[in-house]
Amino acid sequence: MHLFWILFSYEWRHFRAAKGLVLMCGLLLVSGLYGIYYGTTEIERQRQHLAALPELTRRNVAELKVKFPGPADAGDIGYYHTAFAVHHPDPWAALSLGLRDVNPSYVKLRLLGLQNQLYATDNTNPMKVLSGNFDLAFVLVYLFPMLIIALSFNLLSSEREEGILVLLLAQPVRPATVLAAKLAFRLTLVLALALLLSGVGMLWAGVPLDGRIGTWLALTVLYCLFWLAVALVVAALQRPSAVNAVALLGVWLLLVVLVPSLLNLGVAAARPVPQGIELTIRQREEIHAGWDRPKAQTMNRFFALYPQWRDTATIRERFVWRWYYAFQHLGDVAVAPQATAYAQGLQQRYNLVEQLNLLSPAINVQSSLNALAATDLPSHLAFQRSATRYHDSLRAFYYPFLFRKVEFTHADYAQEPTHTFTSHPELATTYRGLLKLLLSVAAVYALGALLLRVRSINPR
Amino acid sequence: MIHSIAQKEFVSILRDRRFGVLSVLVLALLLAATLVGRASYRTLQQERVLAQSTVNEQFRNQPARHPHRVAHYGSFAFRPKSGLSLLDSGVDTFTGSAVYLEAHQQNSVNFSQAQQSGSLIRFGEMTVAFVLQLLVPLLIIFLCFGAFTQERETGTLKLLLSQGLTMRQVAWGKVRGYSQAVALVVAPALALAATLLFTGEEFASGADLAARLTLFVLGYAVYFFLFVVGSVVVSATQASSRAALIMLLGFWIVSGIILPKATANLGASLYPTITKAQMDADVHEQAQHGINGHDPHDKRAEALKASLLKKYGVDSEEKLPVSLAGVQMAAGEEYSAKVYQQHFAALNATYERQNRLSDWAGLLNPYQAIRPLSMGLAGSDFTHYVHFQQAAEAYRYGLVQRLNGLQASMGPGDKERRLDAHTWHELPVFSYQTPALAWALPHLLLPMGALLLWAGLLSWLGFRLIANTTVA
Amino acid sequence: MTYLLEAKQLRKQYADKLALRGLNLQIAPGEVFCLLGQNGAGKSTTINLFLGFVQPTSGAAFVNGLEVATNSLQIKKHLAYIPENVMLYPHLTGLENLALFSRLAGFRYPESELLTYLTDAGLPPEAVRRRVDTYSKGMRQKVGIAIAVAKHAQVLLLDEPTSGLDPKASNEFSELLRRLSGQGTAVLMATHDIFRAKEVGTRVGIMREGELVDVRPTAALNAQELEQLYLTYMN
Repeated sequence: MHLFWILFSYEWRHFRAAKGLVLMCGLLLVSGLYGIYYGTTEIERQRQHLAALPELTRRNVAELKVKFPGPADAGDIGYYHTAFAVHHPDPWAALSLGLRDVNPSYVKLRLLGLQNQLYATDNTNPMKVLSGNFDLAFVLVYLFPMLIIALSFNLLSSEREEGILVLLLAQPVRPATVLAAKLAFRLTLVLALALLLSGVGMLWAGVPLDGRIGTWLALTVLYCLFWLAVALVVAALQRPSAVNAVALLGVWLLLVVLVPSLLNLGVAAARPVPQGIELTIRQREEIHAGWDRPKAQTMNRFFALYPQWRDTATIRERFVWRWYYAFQHLGDVAVAPQATAYAQGLQQRYNLVEQLNLLSPAINVQSSLNALAATDLPSHLAFQRSATRYHDSLRAFYYPFLFRKVEFTHADYAQEPTHTFTSHPELATTYRGLLKLLLSVAAVYALGALLLRVRSINPR
Repeated sequence: MIHSIAQKEFVSILRDRRFGVLSVLVLALLLAATLVGRASYRTLQQERVLAQSTVNEQFRNQPARHPHRVAHYGSFAFRPKSGLSLLDSGVDTFTGSAVYLEAHQQNSVNFSQAQQSGSLIRFGEMTVAFVLQLLVPLLIIFLCFGAFTQERETGTLKLLLSQGLTMRQVAWGKVRGYSQAVALVVAPALALAATLLFTGEEFASGADLAARLTLFVLGYAVYFFLFVVGSVVVSATQASSRAALIMLLGFWIVSGIILPKATANLGASLYPTITKAQMDADVHEQAQHGINGHDPHDKRAEALKASLLKKYGVDSEEKLPVSLAGVQMAAGEEYSAKVYQQHFAALNATYERQNRLSDWAGLLNPYQAIRPLSMGLAGSDFTHYVHFQQAAEAYRYGLVQRLNGLQASMGPGDKERRLDAHTWHELPVFSYQTPALAWALPHLLLPMGALLLWAGLLSWLGFRLIANTTVA
Repeated sequence: MTYLLEAKQLRKQYADKLALRGLNLQIAPGEVFCLLGQNGAGKSTTINLFLGFVQPTSGAAFVNGLEVATNSLQIKKHLAYIPENVMLYPHLTGLENLALFSRLAGFRYPESELLTYLTDAGLPPEAVRRRVDTYSKGMRQKVGIAIAVAKHAQVLLLDEPTSGLDPKASNEFSELLRRLSGQGTAVLMATHDIFRAKEVGTRVGIMREGELVDVRPTAALNAQELEQLYLTYMN
C-alpha cells in the first residue's frame, strides 16, 4: 500500500509535466461548462416558450369576446378557440436534453379531431437538430472517454518505450501495483472532473434533492470506470503506444458510433412502425365522409359511445355544431386502433433498443441519463397520452353546451379546463441501465485481470 | 523520383496487415451503407409515392361537394427522396415527410424519422456520407501519421535524401502513394453506388444526376487529399510518431465531433426563433388587423364588397353575378398567405443566420465544408427542404385560390349548392420535382471555395513547412 | 556454502530461437563474474532471467537461495540492476529520480544523503537539480549507478554498465565494484570489454550460442591470454 501511494503521488508529477494533457483537461472542463450553460439556456428557452402560450390563449379569448359580444353558440367557440397541451421539462432535462428538441414541447388543440393535431411539430432548424445537443450528457458520454483514452493509451507503454520500465520493475514493486497506481490516479483525475461538472450542472439546473443525484453520479462513475477498464485491457496486451491509441480509438468508434448506428438500422428493420401518416389520411377520410353520411347514422354511432346524450333533440337542420363535432370525434374513433399501434410500435422500438444496449455502454448511459431526465421517447409518448386525455376533457367541457344547447357566455371561458404535464423520470429504465453498466464494468475488469495474469508484464 | 517514392509507399501500405484489416473494414462499411441506403431509399420512396398517389386519387374521386368543403378536405404533399440522398441523407431524417395542405392555414411538415426513434438516432446514422466524412479520414490518419516520423525513427529518411531527393519530392511521393491506397478503398463503393443509381429503375437518371454525382466524387476527392496532405505535413513536423498521431486524432475529434455541434448550438443561441404557435398567432393577428395594424379584416371585406357592387352597378349582394363569399375568401387567403410568407421568410432567414456560423466554420474546418457540399449535392440539405416547403405552400395556395375562384363563379347562394364530381378531376395534383443542380449550386459556392482554399493553402504552406524541417 | 546467484540447467526457448541451453552457474558473495560473448550469445537473457523479466523454459534461477520464478517480488529486494542504457523520467531531476527509485526500494533518504550518492557516482553537483532530459547518456548512467548503490543490495546485475561512460568514469566505476565486492556483494556483469573484465572480474565466463563454453578465474590469465581464449571460441 505504501508503494502504491508513492507511485500515485509521482503520477501527479508526471501528469503536471505533460502540458498537453493538462490543456486537454482544461478544454474538457470548459466544454462541460459550456454544455451545462447550453443545456440550461435551452431548457430555459423552452420554459419561456411554454410560459408565453397562456398569453396566446388569452389573446385568442379576447378576440372571441369581441367577435361574439353576447352569449354565443359553444360550437363557434370550440371551432375558433385554441388551447395548448404543454409538456414542462423536468429540471434534470437541462443536463440531458435527449429528444426535447426533436419532439415539440406543446400541442395546439382545437375541439376538432385530435389525430391530425397531435403530431404537429414545432419550428425547428433541421441543421441544428442534425448536429445534436452539446449538453452535459454529451460531454460525459462522448468526450470523457476521449479524455480517458488520451490519459491512458500509454499506461505502461510510455515507460516501456522510454526504457524506464526495466529500472522500475527491478525494484521490489509488483507490476500490478504500478498499473493500479496509474489507473487510480487517472480515475481520481477523471472523476474529479466528472463529479465537479455534474455538481455544477446540478446546482445550475436547480435539480430537486432526491435519489436521482446519487443515480446520476453512480452512472457517471461507473461509465468512467468502464473506459478505464478498457484502457487496462489494452495496456495488458502490452503493445506499443501508437497501437494502443489506435485500438482504444477503435473501441470508442465501435461503441459510441458504429454499434449505435448499426443498432438503429437493425431496430428499424426488426420493429417496423406503422406509418403515422396513414392514420392521418384515414382520419381525414372518415371525418370528411361525415359530411356526406346521413346525420342519423352519424349520431347513432356517436350515441353508442356517449349514451348520456342520446335523449337530445333529433337533428333536422342542414348544419348543427353537435353533429359536426360528433363526426370529428368518430374520425378519431375510427383510427384509434392505428393510433394505438403507432404509439405501441414506437414504444416497442424503444424497448428493443433498451434490451440491446448492453452491447454499448455509451448507448446504455445515454438512454439511462435521458430516462433519468425524462427526455426520451417514452416521456413524449406519455405527454401525447396526457394531451389525448386533455382533449377528452375539452370535449367533456363543451358537450353539455352543445347537446343541451346551453349558451356560452363570457364567464364560461374561465371554466375551460387547462392542461399541464411535467415529464416523469423513467427510473426503472435508469436502474436497469445502472445494473447493466455494472455488469459491463465487471466483465471488462475481469478480462483485464485475466490478461494480466496470463501475460506477465514484459519490461522491454 | 516522385513516382518511385509513391510506388514504394503504395506497395508497403498494401503489405501492411493493419491497413488490410482497416481498409477491408471501411470498404465493408461503405458497401453496407450503400446497400442499406438503397434499401431505405426504396422503402421510403415507395411509401411516399404510394401515399401521394392515394391522396391524389382520393382528391380526384371526391363526390359532388361545395368547393370550400374541398378546400378544407385539402390534400397532402409528400416529399420525395432525391436520388443521391441514398448516399447522404443529410437533414432528411430530422425533417418531416408529409404536410397537410388545407384552406386558411399552413401546417407543419410532420412525421420525421427522428421522431419515430429514440435518442439512439442522436449517435448518428450509418450512411455513405458518414463513412466518407468521418471514417475515411480516420483511416487516412492511421495510414499517414508515421509517414515521416517512422522514416526518421528508423533512419531511412537520411538514406533517401542521400540519394539526391529533396524533402518536397519525398513528401509528394508519399502523398501520391497514400492517395492511391485511399482510392483503392473508396472507389469500389462509389462505383457500386453509381451503378445502383444509373441502373436502378427507381432513380430518374439523367444529366443532372450525373453532374451531381461527379461533383460529389470530386468534392470527396479534394477532402481526402486534404487529409492525406495534412497528415503528411503533421508527420513531417512532429518529433515522434506518437506525437503526430495524437495531434491528428485531436484534430479529427475537434473538427468532426466538437466543432459542428458547438457551432450549431451557438448559432441557435445567438439567433433565437419563435415557436410555431407564436408565429401562427402573429400571422392570424396581422391578417385580422392588417399588416400595418390599420387595415382590419372587416374593413377590407367591406371595401371589397363596396367595390364589387360598384363594379357591377348593383345595390345588393344577391344581385351580384359572383358569390361575394367566394371573392372575399380569395381576398382573405391572398392576404393571409402574404402575411404568412413574410413570417416564413423571416423564420428561414433566422435559420440561415444560425447555420451561417457553421458554414463559415467550413473555412476553419474541412468537415464543415464537405458536409454542406455533400448534402447540397445529394439534395438533402436545409435549402432543398425549404424548396419543398415552398413548393407545397405554392401548390396549396394555388389550389385553394382555384377553389375560391370556383366558389365565386357559382354566384350568390352558393352555400346551398355543390359542384359536380368531375370538377375535381380538372384540378392539378401535387407533384414535386427536386430542383436542378444549377439552382442548388450558388448555395454551395462557399463550401466548395473553402475546400479548394484548404487544398491550395495546405499544398503551398504545408510543403514549404516540410521543405524547411530538419532531417535528423 | 550458499551462493548469492545460482542457475540450474537454465533453458530459455523463444519462439524463433533457443537463447539459453542449460546454463549452470554459481556466484558467491564477493565474486565479480563477467559474462563475455557476442551479441545474441545469451548474456542479456541470463540477466533477464535473474531479474524475473523473462520466465525460464526449464531449469531455475536463484537469488540468495530464493527461486526467481516463484519469488519475483522478494528477490528484487536483494538485487540492484544497471541496464546498458539507463533511462529515467525525463521531466524529473536526477535527484528526484533517485529519490523515487530509492523510495520504491524501501529507502527514504534525507536530501543530503541522496546528494552524496549522486556525487559519489560521479554526477557533477551542478547537474543534480536539472531535469534528466538535459542529461547526456553518461550522466544518466551515473544516476543509474547511484540508484543501484543506494539500494544496498547483496547482488548487482550489470548489463554493459560502462557503455557511454568516459574512461575516467569507467575507472571510477571499476573502483566502486571492487569496493562493493570487498563488502561481500556478488556481481554479475555482461560485457564486451575483455580488458575491463580482466581488471574487475574475479572470474570470467565465455558464452556462445546460449552456452557457457568456458569459465576461468581471472587471476590465472593475463589480458592477452584472455583475448586469445575469447577469439578462439568466437571462431
